[in-house]
Formats: sequence, structure tokens, C-alpha cells
Amino acid sequence: MSEKIYALLLRLYPANFRNRYREESLHLFRDRLRDEPGFFARLRLWFDLLTDTALALPRAHHMAPSAVAVANRGPLAGLPSFDILDRPPLRPAAIVFAAALSLAGTGGFFLVLSYAGVRPGSRLAAMEEHPRPQAHSQSSAATPPTTAPPAAPSAGSAITSNAVAPQAAANANAAQDHPATTPAATESPVARPVDPAELHRVVEGAAQNLRDHYFDPNIAQHAAAALVAQEKLGADNAATPAELAVLLTRQIRSVTEDRHLIVVYSAMPLPSAPLTALSPAALAAWHQDVLRQNCFIEKAAILPHIIGYLQLNAFPDPSICHQQVATALASLNHAGAIIFDLRTNGGGMPDMVAEVAAPLFDHPVPWYNPKANPSDQPLIGSPGSPLANKPVYILTSSITLSGAEQFAYNLQMLHRATVIGATTGGSAHVGAFHRIDDHYGIGIPETRIINPYSDQDWEIVGVTPDIQVKPADALTTAERLAETKLRTSRGPR
Amino acid sequence: MPKRKLDPLPSAAFQILLSLAGEDRHGYGIMRQVEEQSGGRMRLGPGTLYSSIQTLLDEKLIEETGPPSGDDAPNAERRRYYRLTSTGRKLARSEADRLADLLRIARVRKIYRGEYV
Repeated sequence: MSEKIYALLLRLYPANFRNRYREESLHLFRDRLRDEPGFFARLRLWFDLLTDTALALPRAHHMAPSAVAVANRGPLAGLPSFDILDRPPLRPAAIVFAAALSLAGTGGFFLVLSYAGVRPGSRLAAMEEHPRPQAHSQSSAATPPTTAPPAAPSAGSAITSNAVAPQAAANANAAQDHPATTPAATESPVARPVDPAELHRVVEGAAQNLRDHYFDPNIAQHAAAALVAQEKLGADNAATPAELAVLLTRQIRSVTEDRHLIVVYSAMPLPSAPLTALSPAALAAWHQDVLRQNCFIEKAAILPHIIGYLQLNAFPDPSICHQQVATALASLNHAGAIIFDLRTNGGGMPDMVAEVAAPLFDHPVPWYNPKANPSDQPLIGSPGSPLANKPVYILTSSITLSGAEQFAYNLQMLHRATVIGATTGGSAHVGAFHRIDDHYGIGIPETRIINPYSDQDWEIVGVTPDIQVKPADALTTAERLAETKLRTSRGPR
Repeated sequence: MPKRKLDPLPSAAFQILLSLAGEDRHGYGIMRQVEEQSGGRMRLGPGTLYSSIQTLLDEKLIEETGPPSGDDAPNAERRRYYRLTSTGRKLARSEADRLADLLRIARVRKIYRGEYV
């Protein structure tokens, strides 16, 4: 047995050494075995052999005379040649062994690859399950995950579904574009199945709210009937409540083609009362939450070439954030041009949209507000405003929604801004949020829209940018345009 | 001028040359002789031993020879025996001189005390 092990060790030596000294080495080993009996002597023998192998192997390979001799022979001038590193041909066993080893290696590599790819919880599998994390991260960067209900909801109160938290809207939008995603998973990390009673309750509640509140009774009736029918067909096969909300939203939108209709699931219980009727403590907590998020002002800065930059991730309630937003706008007063970054802006309060737009005009202009009655369309403008005549650029993406789209659309229609980026999400209608139960609600627009600028607003189709670029490149493009514009307007030096 | 493999002479190679100074030996015999002449401090394993032997053969410092007539050990006829060549003897001597010179220096420097060589 010992001799076999040593014979295996000898295979580590180069062929020329083995050919010449294998037998002698084995002789020597046998002699030592014979002459050195006893446990400790054997132990020392093996220690000697292993040490010797470790020390002598590199030297033996380095010396391998045939390899050195042949490889050192220079190539014949102008002729292709091969250097043969070992004189004896490869043994068949070596070829078979090498083939088996390479097969095993290749097979093992793919095995590891596929194993890592399908194993639940593995990194690759996680990436498969969440193919568009950036949509959520953008959104959550704007509105850090909060345990507050997504809507700060009210039933038919002054606050409309434009006040639905941008994150929920963006998530729903992302879900529509990419049905495989489970956007509300950020709200509800622990998934639980939807039980049949819950499903029935939510479907009935959504259908009833549609019939009661949607501005077009015919379409509402169709949408409600479709919801009920699909539940009976067993089409509402959602794994989690969040998925159910996305699924119902999709079903309603497919009938109504109204992207402002949205079913929302909140892991935290929704307030039982409208916002206006909330307790002072709850109201204060909601205000605090908005303030903690800096009124959704992500960044207000002066970029190189004195270009003003305001990244706003939502249009907050003016009663809370009037001062903060005014200060942010004023900080851009001495800039030569203004860039509004609305690429992650999911909308907000129509009054704030008007407030942000007003300083861009020094004379009254008609301001289209799809939420207001046609007879109540406001005029906006701010005489003497330092921002009034400065070039304006608006950055958009596919998750620019609702109030942010209103801002971009109106300024585009008024020829007051250049819109740069991707076509926006296309959520025009505004509506009220209605509670279905403790965790589900539905946002429903309640007025028909009269557009003073054009036949068609951004509903479904979105706002088409003046300059279409990837959202990631929009800021660079805007900066370049602004810089060029400022240089030209100053004239040659 | 290409560097010679045995310049400087490795300790194992010198010991092998010394072990063959008295008589011809096979590998195991060399190993035992080296162990004995080094006071047990050096036990050459097969890898070191036969690599060194191969180098010494290449440099013609030793040569292969048949089994001595008196060796009746089993498989004696299949063993390779090695003999010191005159070149090998000369090299061993010059290596011994070099070491003797070193010893003299060590003695002058009061590092080593012993018989004068």
C-alpha cells in the first residue's frame, strides 16, 4: 500500500526522470521500509519523502533535459516549426485522462452556472425576479419607503388622486409596462396569499366605487362588469395582495383606457377617515412625513455656466411646503436658464404645479388644470418675476406622471419650455381616492376634461418631448442646450 | 559563458561525490553513506538524490558502472551503481580546498576553533 502511494507521488515527476529513476526510487523506498521498522521510523520516512518531493519536484521539472534541449533549438529561417517538449509520445492513458478532465471541467462549470441561476435566493435568481430595480430605486429615492399609507387618502375631498403618493403611481405604471414585476413588494416585504373572501371583497368594492364615482357612467358600468366577470372566471390569480392591486388596475385600465384609475394596496392600514377629517395627531404625522422628505425637493443647485437645476420628485401640498418650494425656486433667481428635473416625479397637488409654474411668466396665462371645472380654469403669472424670461428645460421619463405631466404639457403648449427625455407615462385624469377596506383603495377621476390648448392632452399617450433622448442622457442634453443658448444670447465676445 | 549547473556546488552534490570517493555505490548506498558521513544531518530523499545524480552524470563528474563483484544483495544486478570520475574527484578536491580556505578565514576571525587544516 505504502509503495503504491509512493508510486503515485512519483508520477508528479517529469517523464524523463520517471523513465530513468522510477525503479531506483522504488528500490530505495523499499530498502528504507525494510531497514526502518517501527511507527516513528515510518513516520520519519514519510516526512522525509514528502519534504523531498516538495523540494525536488520544481528542480526536476526545471532540469527536464529533453525539453530544454529541444526548445532551445531556434526555428529554421522562414519555415514554420514546432518545438517538441518531450521526446516520448503521449501515453494513451494521459490522453484519455486529459479528455475526461476537460469534459468534467466544462460540465462542472455549466452545472455550477445553472445551479446558481435557478436556486431560489441566489443572486442570479434574484435578478431574474426583479428585472427592473432601477424603476423602484428611482421612485424610492424620491420618496423613501414610508410606512404611511400611500395615498394620504380622502374620499371626494379637496385632495384628489393627484395626491396619490408618487411612489404608488410610479409603481403601478412600472407594473403595467412590466407585468412580471411586483412593485408593491417594497411596501409589503412579507408576501401572503390572497384568500377568496378578500378577493371577492376587493373586486366588489372596486366595482361599486367605479359605478358610484367615475364620471362616465357607461364606461364605469362596463369596467365594473368586467371586474366581476373576471373574478368569476378565476382570472384574478394573484399571489400577493400587492399583485392583486396591480392586476385589478390593469383590468380596469384595459376597459376604460384611463390610466388615472388605480387600485392601491397598502400593507399599513389605510386611515378610516378622509384626510380633512383626520385627527390632528394623524394630520401632523403626515405633514411631518412630507417635511422629512424635504417636500420632495431632491436637489436645487446652480450647475456650471450658471444653469439653475431643480429636481422635484413630487408636487407637495402648498399648505405644507409653500415656503420650501418658494425658497428652492428663489435660489435659482440669478441663474441664466432653469432645468426642471421631473424624471422621477409621479405627480402631486395641482395647486403646487401652478405655484411652481407661475414665476415663469410675468403676465397672466391660462393654466390648464384637468382637475378643475372648465369654467374655473385659472390664470397664472407673477409680474416682475426674475425667472420669467429665462430659458426653461424640463426633463422627463416614462415614470413622469400626472401633475408632472401637467407641468411639462402646459409649458410645452405655452411654448415656455423645451421638454427633453422620454415620453411621459400618460396619466391625465385626476380623481378622488376611495377606501375599499383597511388595506385596499381605488383612485377614481370624477370630472371630464376640457382642454383649452388642444384636442388631446397627455392622457394615455403621454407628453411627447421636444427632444427625445434616453432619460439618463436628458440632463447632459439640457445642460448643453442651455449653455449654447446662453452663449448665443450673450453674443460674441 | 553559460553558467554551470554545479557552480557553486550544492551541498547534496558534494556529499554524493564524497560518498563515492571510497567505493562505488548504488542510490540507497549513497543515501546511507551520506547520512553516516553527515552525522545523520542529511538524509537524501529519492527526488533530491536522483536529481543530483542526474546532474552529476550530465557533468561527467560521476558515471554509471556495473555492480561490484562482491555485492550479493538481492536485485543487485538490476541496480545502477555509480563511480566517481577523475573530473569528479578533482572537483570534490577543489570544493574541499574552497571550504578549507573558508575554515582558515573563520579561524583567523576567531569564529572557528579547531585543528589547522
